[in-house]
Amino acid sequence: MTFRDLIATATGNLWRMKLRSVLTFSGIVIAIAAFVAMLSFGAGMQLNIAEQFEKLGLLSVIQVYPKNAQETDSSAVAELNNAALEYIEKIPGVEIVYPFESLDLVIKLGDSETTVSAQALPSKAVETKLFSDLAAGELFTADSSRKVLISEDILAKLGIESADSILDKSVIISIKVAKIDSGVVSMLRPLSDIIQTRRKEMQSDTIRFVEYAQNAIREELGGALNRFIDGFMKNRETKAETLSVCGVFNSRRNGRLRLKDIILPVATARDFSSSGFTGNPTEILAELQTGNLFVANSNSPIKDYSQATVMMEQNALYEPIRDSIEAAGFRTFSFAEQFKEIRQFFRYFNLALGLIGIIALMTASLGIINTMIMSITERRREIGIWMSLGADMNDIRRLFLVESGLIGLIGAIGGVIFGYIISRVGSLVAKTFMENEGVPPMEIFHIPIWLVLTALLFGVLVSLLAGFYPANRAAKIDPVVSLRNE
Amino acid sequence: MDKPWLYTDNVCRFYRRKTAVVKAVDSVSLSIECGDFISLIGSSGSGKSTMLNLLAGLDRPTSGDIFFEDKSLSSMNRQELSSYRANKIGMVFQAFNLVPHLTAQMNVELALYFNGTPKSKRQFLSEQMLSQLGIADRSDHRPADLSGGEQQRVAIARALVKSPDILFADEPTGNLDEKNTNDIMTLLSELNKQGLTIIMVTHDLTLANNVSNKIMQMHYGQIVDQERKPNDLS
Repeated sequence: MTFRDLIATATGNLWRMKLRSVLTFSGIVIAIAAFVAMLSFGAGMQLNIAEQFEKLGLLSVIQVYPKNAQETDSSAVAELNNAALEYIEKIPGVEIVYPFESLDLVIKLGDSETTVSAQALPSKAVETKLFSDLAAGELFTADSSRKVLISEDILAKLGIESADSILDKSVIISIKVAKIDSGVVSMLRPLSDIIQTRRKEMQSDTIRFVEYAQNAIREELGGALNRFIDGFMKNRETKAETLSVCGVFNSRRNGRLRLKDIILPVATARDFSSSGFTGNPTEILAELQTGNLFVANSNSPIKDYSQATVMMEQNALYEPIRDSIEAAGFRTFSFAEQFKEIRQFFRYFNLALGLIGIIALMTASLGIINTMIMSITERRREIGIWMSLGADMNDIRRLFLVESGLIGLIGAIGGVIFGYIISRVGSLVAKTFMENEGVPPMEIFHIPIWLVLTALLFGVLVSLLAGFYPANRAAKIDPVVSLRNE
Repeated sequence: MDKPWLYTDNVCRFYRRKTAVVKAVDSVSLSIECGDFISLIGSSGSGKSTMLNLLAGLDRPTSGDIFFEDKSLSSMNRQELSSYRANKIGMVFQAFNLVPHLTAQMNVELALYFNGTPKSKRQFLSEQMLSQLGIADRSDHRPADLSGGEQQRVAIARALVKSPDILFADEPTGNLDEKNTNDIMTLLSELNKQGLTIIMVTHDLTLANNVSNKIMQMHYGQIVDQERKPNDLS
């Protein structure tokens, strides 16, 4: 018996028992639809995240941090300074590397002013995907440009309604700058008075002199440091520059690449910091700790950074670059690595969803077994007739397997279509909900071709497995018994 | 002396019913020549239908062997036995055994599914056979719409459409009235005259006498008389 004959006969048999076939198909349709809808949700979420990563160019970014003393085995801690950045830039596959330099400043436009956090970036860094979707305007193209990029968040604070209206307008950026000498002066000024007082106290308490002296030294050192920092902060000068706004960027950023609200060209920003410390007391303490306080300025090769960003060339593999950076003694954070973990998570997530779908499918397969066994019971005589005409056990087995396979295939096709409809309806509901919540709507369902093929394959495979027992039972029917006169 | 065309050698077919053993066919040795019209007669439960099923390859003997054209049916594997049924024999039953949801023509065509007849030839052969048996006008009818005689003709057409060497008929007129019985027996007789070997099971001795050239009588699973001439039976 040819396969074509089997298909024709099986189709005829299913058509003959329409209601029963439709009910059996329905079980498979619902199970496959659930399978497709659930996995399309997983696939949709995965695709969204991948698109976000890709859109921002995050997959080609590695963040570099200096290690803490506790994190390293060697006594020497690698410093993330300009020399280190130069070394990293030479690693094959690295396109650019720039440090994270931030400063707090006041931005003034007309009568409006607000305090913001700013970040200095080289022009090469802003030309990446990170700024590929500017809300308005264009990027600055030189590191010493007198232009500035501002985030959409700042517009409202400056009383601006539309992004376009701020373009090319001049803003005054001012910053408080503290110098080392003001700190030193503050520390030294009361010194003679203190020395006099301490000398008198020491004479009056000679019995416990050593202990007293230690306490006094500790106390004075702490006091001197406080006065030093106090002097820094109290005697800060205001330095102001007038820059023009060249572009407005979208402030929605994720994870560790969150940008500050103002992006300054790196050389322009250094003009501020070269005249002194622009940060807060912690910056001063950090410089004290590394011993670089008196040499620290932006042009010094030994200035330490808390973080640097490495952007890889297109198609460069992140693993060797990450390994080279880590071998130089730094800690890294790679979005590609994180994305790998996210994909791994989604693999388990999809597996869990798929398992739920398979359980539904297995339940539906019980319907197939039931239908096939009923069909066999009703067709015992027909099976006997087939055998008397020369049908082999294999012909009978194949006929019933083809019937159950057809139920699976038709059910799976129906399930994929139904699953698609569910995903469309789900997507519509989700988008409406997101819009109402003020979240930009996104597509949370995605049905890739592999999912369609897997669903069809599963539908047919599970149905064939379900049909295996009834088919074997049919093949074992004794023709003599089934043809016996009743 | 040449060996017979179809013969059995001490064939037994026993069934176990709880603790008892039913000897449906017990040490039967018979021989059939090409062109014979054999009638297997006997009372109900004498083992004649079981014997027919064994000869048709639908059942396997408990012991002994059956030979067709010198080939042992017992040594045939499942596929070979299916092929024997698909190509060498045709079967007609008392209950007609037509597939109820297929038309007369499709029932006839069904016999050609298993002997490799191409689809293009099946329709032609089945129409031709129904026409030869005088029921071409009923080819689109389902069995339920046919009379008993017509159903049996369709069953005979189905058995003959593959041009078998032997036709096995198990009480072919058992469910028919006298007229249809006579028509079917005339038809079988004509087919035998055209050279078809027929082995028929019946309990109607008169019928057997009228058409057979050899009658074998079975009793409790054994052939008690196989050489007796039809005219000598009483």
